[in-house]
Amino acid sequence: MAGVAQESGRGPSPGQEGPAGLRRSLPTGRQVLQRLLSLREGSIIVVTIVAAVYFAINTSTFLTGANFKTLLPYFAPLAILGAGEVFVMILGEIDLSIGAMYMFAPIVFYKLDTAGLGLVPSVILALVVCTAVGAINGAFVSILGVSSFVTTLGMLFTFEGLSLIISHGTPVATPGAQVHQTTAQVHHIVNGHDIVLPEKINHIGTFAKIFGGGVYSELIWAVVIVILLQVVLTFTRWGLYTVAIGSNKIGAAEAGVKVRLVTIRNFVLCAVLAGLVGIFEAVRSQTIQPDPSGPNKILLLAIAAAVIGGTLLAGGSGTVVGALIGALFLGILEDGLILQGVNANYLLFYTGIAIVVAMTANVYVGRARRGHSSG
Amino acid sequence: MADAGTAPVPSAPAPASDDVLRVEHIAKRFGPVTALQDVSLHLKKGEVLGLLGDNGAGKSTLIKIISGFQKPDSGRMFLDGQPYEPKSVDDARAKGIDTVYQDLALIDELSVYHNMFLRRERVLRPVPLLNNREMKREARRALDSIGINIPRIDVAVARLSGGQRQAIAVARTVNSASDIILLDEPLAAMGVKEGAQILDLVARLKEEGNVSIIMILHNYVQVFEACDRVNMIQEGRIALDKPTSETSVEEITNIVVDEYRRAREEEHANNAHGEHEPPSAEPPQQS
Ligand SMILES: Nc1ncnc2c1ncn2[C@@H]1O[C@H](COP(=O)(O)OP(=O)(O)OP(=O)(O)O)[C@@H](O)[C@H]1O
Ligand SMILES: [Mg+2]
Repeated sequence: MAGVAQESGRGPSPGQEGPAGLRRSLPTGRQVLQRLLSLREGSIIVVTIVAAVYFAINTSTFLTGANFKTLLPYFAPLAILGAGEVFVMILGEIDLSIGAMYMFAPIVFYKLDTAGLGLVPSVILALVVCTAVGAINGAFVSILGVSSFVTTLGMLFTFEGLSLIISHGTPVATPGAQVHQTTAQVHHIVNGHDIVLPEKINHIGTFAKIFGGGVYSELIWAVVIVILLQVVLTFTRWGLYTVAIGSNKIGAAEAGVKVRLVTIRNFVLCAVLAGLVGIFEAVRSQTIQPDPSGPNKILLLAIAAAVIGGTLLAGGSGTVVGALIGALFLGILEDGLILQGVNANYLLFYTGIAIVVAMTANVYVGRARRGHSSG
Repeated sequence: MADAGTAPVPSAPAPASDDVLRVEHIAKRFGPVTALQDVSLHLKKGEVLGLLGDNGAGKSTLIKIISGFQKPDSGRMFLDGQPYEPKSVDDARAKGIDTVYQDLALIDELSVYHNMFLRRERVLRPVPLLNNREMKREARRALDSIGINIPRIDVAVARLSGGQRQAIAVARTVNSASDIILLDEPLAAMGVKEGAQILDLVARLKEEGNVSIIMILHNYVQVFEACDRVNMIQEGRIALDKPTSETSVEEITNIVVDEYRRAREEEHANNAHGEHEPPSAEPPQQS
């Protein structure tokens, strides 16, 4: 057991063991590594730490608070999207329509708000629309038996198309996200002299602060949602049934699990989270961009985050926390590469290779775990 | 094939008050396949009924209909004299019928105790989180009372042997405190000792007298050891219904062999008929 786990762990970690060079402390280091790798999220934790250490050593700015803030908007939305996707992927299904919900929800929100419904009711109704789309996804998959790939691919195009139609392809300012600037006279003491200088201060409304506009608002949402959903997955019947369906759909049904209900519920969860993230991002960027290219990219990254985090495409196994760490890994990678001054043309290329490496490490660790378990 | 006689075998017995379950004229087709043509049977309180039949005879289909997993095309069922139309497995279970399916319905990724409590989870109040500690304790007690050795109950069932898995599926159902238990080949993957343990368990349940059992078995010796009565399904009907004390392994074997001979002769006749056609094509082989 340990042999296999170590071998697969050795791949990403020579940088850690090498410079340490402490023969005596090596066994404990290995033990920690083994313990880590026996976790479902183990390999991605190791890979993420390695990536962070690498960029911390090789760039002067990676380990700064300012950089952490630039990292946030990249990884927090992915973590939330990934969390929803995990619930669908554990079922053995996939939801590609999250890209469309991400794009569609802000537009619905905008339309309803301009119709005079008010900010929060508009958000809620936009999410109700996402609920309906998720329910349709789930119904097609579990009642009509259409493959989830096909169903949600169709929904992806349909609702991205609908977004373009409704918005006429024109960007608009996100309601409630306006920034008011005021000028304040700030006193500075320079060389003992009191100097008064005017400074611009940005004010954003409470709505915007909560729904993605605040610096840490998306991070807080992401952490709360991920913890909540991990608890649901591990410690509630809903989570148990999700794993049961993904592991043995017929068996779960024979045992009395309501396969359709759970499937629909998980697709709804996934769609609602995608709509919510779409609204967050619209508020944060202050504009609603009816352009499918961004949503399509973030959709694929969210699935990558889930898979990197140890969720099997085949279903039956996965963790929400893993998706968060997967999202963190993708964020660190992109951010670190940019800080390192990697030519923009190479960015996607390196990201792709890193994803393949991380996922391969995952598969090996997964096999090691399973080999250990069946042996 | 099935058009030899349209009159159903009059196996539906006279109404008896001690029947806990009655199944009348159940039919079930899967597209072109007729799994059950016209099945009627009854189960007395405290009785162990052995259900026999060739592979593909429709035994599992009948079990799944009684368990609420599948809907019959036609026919009626009665539970304690009341019409019984299970809307779901949960519904059947709520009415006191629980099942060990032939495929065991175990979830590989879940632990032994989660499997044992699937759809009967113990949850905490007021926040409905899984009460894993209680489920572990009860699962351990249930398995120990059966006397089957499962060293660890917090491991995924994927890691268990075929016989251990079967023991867990049986324990899950026996532990459910149901009135009627349906066992679809509960001994298929078991060693001699473990099989005997399960039959002992069935005997114990029978002694307690609260449970009625329908059990599908392929081993006739076990049938005569464990069952009060046997029903045999052939061609989608009950071809034999006798107390085990009034029949024998020979009689049952002869019924099966006769049926096999008859089917072969029929096939021969069909082939002979086919030989009037150009003999270039080999007669279609069914394997
Ligand atoms: N879900 C299904 N879809 C299509 N055909 C089915 C289905 N379930 C059963 N059948 C068919 O119905 C017939 C009866 O199957 P069933 O499983 O009830 O047989 P059985 O008596 O349990 O056989 P065995 O001893 O091999 O378990 C078979 O011909 C089978 O192919
Ligand atoms: Mg069967």
